[in-house]
Amino acid sequence: MAVTTLAPLRPGNLAANTVAFARLLRRRGLAVGPREAADALRALRAVDLLDRTEVYLALRQVFVSEHEDYPRFEEAFREFWGPDGESTGAPPDGAGEDPSVLTDPDAAEADAERLLQEWLEEEAADAEEAETPGYSPLERLTQKDFAALTPDELDRITALVAQIARRVATRLSRRMRAARRSHLLDMRRTVRHSLRRGGEILELLHRQRRVQKLQVVLLCDVSGSMDLYSRFLVQFIFALQHALGRVETFVFSTSLTRVTDALSRADIRAALERVARTVPNWSGGTKIGASLREFLDGYGARLLGSRTVVIVISDGWDTGDVDVLEAAMRELRRRSARLIWLNPLLGGPGYEPLCQGMRAALPHVDVFAPAHNLESLRRLERHLALRG
Amino acid sequence: MHPEIARIQSMLAAGGYVADRDVATAVYLSMTLRKPLLIEGAAGVGKTEVAKVMAAALHADLIRLQCYEGLDATTALYEWNYQKQLLHIRLTEQSDRTIEQREQEIFSDAFLLKRPLLEAITRPQAPVLLVDEVDRADVEFESFLLEVLSDFQVSIPEIGTIRATTIPYVVLTSNRTRELGDALRRRCLYLWIDYPTYEKELQIVLAKVPGINADLAAQVSAFMQMVRRVRLDKVPGIAETIDWGAALLALHRDHLDREAVEQTLGALFKSQEDARAVRTQWLDAWLRALERLRGEPQPWTQAQVERAAAEAAGVWR
Repeated sequence: MAVTTLAPLRPGNLAANTVAFARLLRRRGLAVGPREAADALRALRAVDLLDRTEVYLALRQVFVSEHEDYPRFEEAFREFWGPDGESTGAPPDGAGEDPSVLTDPDAAEADAERLLQEWLEEEAADAEEAETPGYSPLERLTQKDFAALTPDELDRITALVAQIARRVATRLSRRMRAARRSHLLDMRRTVRHSLRRGGEILELLHRQRRVQKLQVVLLCDVSGSMDLYSRFLVQFIFALQHALGRVETFVFSTSLTRVTDALSRADIRAALERVARTVPNWSGGTKIGASLREFLDGYGARLLGSRTVVIVISDGWDTGDVDVLEAAMRELRRRSARLIWLNPLLGGPGYEPLCQGMRAALPHVDVFAPAHNLESLRRLERHLALRG
Repeated sequence: MHPEIARIQSMLAAGGYVADRDVATAVYLSMTLRKPLLIEGAAGVGKTEVAKVMAAALHADLIRLQCYEGLDATTALYEWNYQKQLLHIRLTEQSDRTIEQREQEIFSDAFLLKRPLLEAITRPQAPVLLVDEVDRADVEFESFLLEVLSDFQVSIPEIGTIRATTIPYVVLTSNRTRELGDALRRRCLYLWIDYPTYEKELQIVLAKVPGINADLAAQVSAFMQMVRRVRLDKVPGIAETIDWGAALLALHRDHLDREAVEQTLGALFKSQEDARAVRTQWLDAWLRALERLRGEPQPWTQAQVERAAAEAAGVWR
């Protein structure tokens, strides 16, 4: 049915169809704009329109810019241009009905231009629609947990946590500056300078490398067994994020939720409320492995690298598959600069990481440290410095 | 198929590259629309190879910019030839030219060392510019690259703006160690290259390992389908398959058995951990699956090999 609602003003025109298809893709979340639509039209003029595979490949190469979007494109393509029935080279719907687009490229181009223009004008209206947030009764319920904290308590803890986070952050950046003090010789300026002394190099000039910021990824367990700590830890993360800059925060229980944006609200109460709303399984069971895998697949490419410190905050009580956890930890370790595991239980006397999940994770961890009180958070600085 | 695409496909084949239609179409469109081609995929699927054969097919030079963390604009664009500059200053010490004049002299074309990006846009004939592993470069470099690829001109403070004499064919590759910016992605045509199917890999092995017999080639290719099903630190790519085939051939092996594989494991697995895991966990299952497969008449189909691979993987999962 989507095809009929999308039906262009003039059925059978390839240009119109292509622009309509571009808009469908955009609605499906692909990064497609008028420029891509224009490129697509150019591409279609360069390939054999009677060859469905070729049309498919050309459009995909123009419209899709990430492998993850291949299935979505495939689905949309089939839906819009019809199923792959006529494999013997029938044209995509519409392309054949109006032979003028094949013979009269100028007409097609003028048409395309008009359609692209129209699309551009509609863009603004589209953007507003997308902002409406979702809301459900179940999500409302989970908000109450936070309401239980008295405003006074919350303020006091927040202030303290923020203070620590700020101190950790400044010390961290100072340490990184010091570690990178090795100057690079600036030959260009050195030579230019020496010219004034007849080519004698009396003085070496240096250039400073810009400090590259650390990327911190926090993956925080908010499942039932972590109840006591997670709320408190999220506040610490919140404060750290403000002080440190490049922190990406995720919470997980049975699945993973990115909360960076929720936490970047200026008001912590609003932020916590929003987190409670976005996390569907607050205090549910834990599938650490699956959640880490979700992170690796969904965000790994963008966030991991040789300047990334990954911090997992969890007690390691895992109700999921241990093999999955093992594999995810191994990959996480390999793709980041440092992997830190903070375990609130570690602070308790006589604690030994005996639970299955923790045992599977431990071999892949660079730092295994407690996170049960303010003091342990203060010591986080030591672990965050990349080259200490 | 568009005749040009067919032509490119056979050109690539002549260059020893077994190209699927999507690769041929991408190369063709990138040349026709004059847009850079971004190729992503796991290590060892033959991304870089595309640029090489493209250059060969076009009879164009290949200029390669290998990216790494810390790569900056000067290293990629140009550098001054300092030794030559210093020498020149010495030699002209006695001249009565002013400092300004002499400065102008030493910061002129003659003292400029062109690095890949500048080289690529100042050639009389358009070369293929390969920006390899662009995901390894910093974000800052990525935006710089984007600028050069959009404007095809660079400004050098001492000389002024250098405009491109030719627009190179650009191929970028990425292993996805870092997510590339949207701006760069959208500037390019996009192609994802997967690990080859059994049939394709067999074709490649036969083409790239001269003297290998069809039996061994089939076994090697089927074996690779099983290898790529399990989670390893470094999944071997096509280059490893070819190395392995050559190694087996050098040892005069005509079929795969435990001894043959163990002797040549190093050609296939570059990490100790992987090699150990394969030897202790997987090898027996794979060899058994292969044994079963050998009972079936050749040529094997993708489906047959996939079934065997799935069975082998099921042994431990």
